[in-house]
Amino acid sequence: MLSLKSMDTTYTKRLSEVQNSLAADLKTALTKTDIEAIQSKYLGGRGAFNELFKSIPNTDKPMAGKDFNTAKLTAQTNIDKALKDIINKESSKSFDPTIPGVLPTLGSTHLITQAIEEIQTIFAKLGFARRRYREVETDWYYAEGLNIPKDHPARDDQETFYVSDNVVLTAHTSNGQLHEMEYKKIPPIKMINIGKTYRRQTDATHNPMFHQFEGLVIDKDINITNLIGVTEFFAKSYFGQDRTIRLRPHHFQFTEPSFEIDISCGICLGKGNTESGKCKICKTGWLELGGAGMVHPNVLRNGGIDPEQFSGFAFGWGVERVLMMKSGLNLPDLRMLYGDDLRFLSQF
Amino acid sequence: MDIKITNSSLKKFLDTKADVTILSENISLCGPTFDRIHETEGDYVFEIEAITNRIDTASAQGVAREAATILTQFGIPAKFINDPYKLQINLHPGLPKQFHFNITDKDLVVRFVAVSLSNISIKPSPAETQKLLTNCDQRPINNAVDITNELTILYGMPSHVFDLDKLAAQKLTIRQSTEGEEIITLDDTKNKLRGQDIVIEDGTGKLVDLCGVMGGQVAEVDEHTKNILLIVPTYHPKKVRRTSLYLQKRTLASQLYEKQPDPELCLPVIEQAIQLFKERADAEVSSEVFDYYPENRKPKIINLDLTWLDKFIGISIPKEQIISILVGLGFSGDTNPNNSIRCIVPSFRYHDINIKEDIAEEIARIYGYFRLPSVLPHTATSPEPEIKILASETKVKKYLANIGYHEIYNNSLISSELISKTLLDLNNHIKLTNALSEEFEYLRISLKASILQNLRNNQGKVDGPIRIFEISNTYMRDGDNNLPNETPHLCMLSTGDYRQTKGEFEALLKHLNISDVAFSKLNNQTANILTKDKQVIGNIGYFEPQIISNFGINTNPVYVEINFELLTNTIATGYTYRPTSEYPPIVESITIKSDSLIGDIMSKISTTDSMIIDVKYSESFENKHTFKVSFGSSERNLQQAEVNSIKEKILQLF
Repeated sequence: MLSLKSMDTTYTKRLSEVQNSLAADLKTALTKTDIEAIQSKYLGGRGAFNELFKSIPNTDKPMAGKDFNTAKLTAQTNIDKALKDIINKESSKSFDPTIPGVLPTLGSTHLITQAIEEIQTIFAKLGFARRRYREVETDWYYAEGLNIPKDHPARDDQETFYVSDNVVLTAHTSNGQLHEMEYKKIPPIKMINIGKTYRRQTDATHNPMFHQFEGLVIDKDINITNLIGVTEFFAKSYFGQDRTIRLRPHHFQFTEPSFEIDISCGICLGKGNTESGKCKICKTGWLELGGAGMVHPNVLRNGGIDPEQFSGFAFGWGVERVLMMKSGLNLPDLRMLYGDDLRFLSQF
Repeated sequence: MDIKITNSSLKKFLDTKADVTILSENISLCGPTFDRIHETEGDYVFEIEAITNRIDTASAQGVAREAATILTQFGIPAKFINDPYKLQINLHPGLPKQFHFNITDKDLVVRFVAVSLSNISIKPSPAETQKLLTNCDQRPINNAVDITNELTILYGMPSHVFDLDKLAAQKLTIRQSTEGEEIITLDDTKNKLRGQDIVIEDGTGKLVDLCGVMGGQVAEVDEHTKNILLIVPTYHPKKVRRTSLYLQKRTLASQLYEKQPDPELCLPVIEQAIQLFKERADAEVSSEVFDYYPENRKPKIINLDLTWLDKFIGISIPKEQIISILVGLGFSGDTNPNNSIRCIVPSFRYHDINIKEDIAEEIARIYGYFRLPSVLPHTATSPEPEIKILASETKVKKYLANIGYHEIYNNSLISSELISKTLLDLNNHIKLTNALSEEFEYLRISLKASILQNLRNNQGKVDGPIRIFEISNTYMRDGDNNLPNETPHLCMLSTGDYRQTKGEFEALLKHLNISDVAFSKLNNQTANILTKDKQVIGNIGYFEPQIISNFGINTNPVYVEINFELLTNTIATGYTYRPTSEYPPIVESITIKSDSLIGDIMSKISTTDSMIIDVKYSESFENKHTFKVSFGSSERNLQQAEVNSIKEKILQLF
């Protein structure tokens, strides 16, 4: 009986001695290395707890096991907590959030690519199918079939690049109209043709090569209010919900009637005046977007579509134009977009 | 066409109390656009854009007619007054003939009206006339010439005066010029003609008028002039345009004539001119009015179905309003019982109104486009196959940008110099017949020339490696077809090394879900890029040293140029799933001594045994190449002994 009692006190006393020693060590530990040392000193395979347990007579082991396990779990919790404290203390000293990050090598997509993607996405919401038609084009698709007669000024070699007598670089994306009618054969048609176009001029606002997007909708009962609807959807989506549009009379050979479309200025919101006087961006409250119109019956006929059954509208606007209108880039020269200076291109 | 008129000249034909702002804003929305308004002493000058096919609005009276109709629609009182078409015309019958016109070619002249006046006293015009002319950018000369210029501003119809006594004979011939003929015009320049210009000859072979463009100096009216010949003609528009373009004389008269002013205006204008000559130069009419008008046009009649009109515009406009708009614009006609209107087109709209859509435009624009509602169409289209090039283009561009490449847009047109620098054959390129400059003359067949130039231009400006790309069409001749093949290419260029650039290209292929692309050595610099079916779709490698030196490039860049259409055709649809093995592979380094291409060695290793699941290249030293080979099975753990025996097999191959 006596031996039992004395034995009991022996291991509990020695166990609490180990626990006290651990507590003292943890108090003086300063670094992660200190903690690692403590971890192996007490809880390693040959650590203090295991060594003590080994020294207990085998007959007592089943009884002591439970106490030892509890003691070891508590010890581990305390060590972990001490480690956490040290890490917290260390990192709060060395963490400098203002140190510059290391960037991966960055490239860039071109502003025109970004604009085209945006335009395409807006029209996709309305169900317009994206197209790209020829840039080098025959007279028929480029002019004759679009109701532009021979020796019309629009066919002058003053403005249009010629490859041979009847072959040009298209000055507009409207050549896509007849291609689309031939492709679809029977309406409904809803396409957005985005492509490269060419004109024989070069100055601060013109590059000989530029981009246009051409919308074409043909169906039964398409009317002028539908053209207004689509234009307004685009204007509000691309330029902002506070913008409005207006149509003015104009003339194109391939549409009847034809319109010039204006968008209210984003600076003065269509008023033409700001608090500091006349609006410097637009002068009149409006900015010119581009041309549009109801597809001329001759053009429908040339595309194999009966104008008595179907009607449609079309528009052709400049990608660079809407990009410059929207971005507020204020490029002094549009031709910068066609330059290759990476110090310019990598800004976007 | 941009014209200038004044508020006071407009008010000669427009009776309204509306102020300049209301006037210009309303007219701009529904008719000709008022681009700018300048205030001058007691008057306003309007800069107006007359739309090409609306030459009838390129004058004070034309703008006034539009203004009266538009303002009335918006409830602003306005009336069109002094309508020239209602003028009483006196042809002065019975007076003698002072001149004779011989017009041989009916195609030159639409109408030709002339009269002679005597007892002219030449002096300066009244102050009011001089002010009008100055405001409209015309130089006052003398009362006679000023009358013709003033009438052009008021009516949009040019006229011309000759000193009758300076014409050698009063027998004039209107004919086409022959090549090499000369005429000195009023601007004191000698013009050598190309032939087929419309001219007036005085009977002695001398030219006195470059018709529709500018008068000849020989019969210029000056302070001694006593007798004049006044003409109000309309000419063949295309001939006038051609002459004025090649002689670079874009006079107001030529711009008006090339857009076909109304021949019915000739008599009212000559009548007005005679009145003004009487008032301002004490003139007397000395001849009968000569009027040559071979093809008297019949008015056009167009039937307008009002049910169709509502559908076309998208709203219903009351019939009374439709009629008042059309009448205001000079149309006449009557209503039919079947809800349609028979419209008679006025003579001054003969060329631009042809079909019912034209009349719909008149009604809709005067009603006000801005009053129409905004309605999205309900059109729904059927599904169709995806266009692969368009679908993957943005994806490729974004990926390349993400891994460090900058996108460039180059011109499709390049110079012969750039082509020869790139050692390409000029004869394979399509040449423009009317290039703007040598810089933009040939259509590209490859993007290499441009991208090398891009690198050259950035050399020394940018720190670190340069990585650029472009996706654009190339234009290859297509046999006898007069249209080239337009094929998009992708071109990447990097000053990084070959392995790095190839890796970036391979990463792009993986991103696009393209596998089975092979690289086969072509020469010491380049390799072909092949599809599974051994079709060559592009090239990768270095440039010939000669090209690099031609461009003055001081690095040895690596490029990829690939047919983007063929590339996108190899994109796999969807993915195949391969189960991952639960048994970890054993990875061993193997060094092989061989003079073969590394790709060939690797494919030889891979096919040695089915337990080889991956071969990775590590490094080379001379002709010793080290690879990391993974051995494994999806069914069990491999034993080291098995692996060793496969390794033996591999080593024996080399």
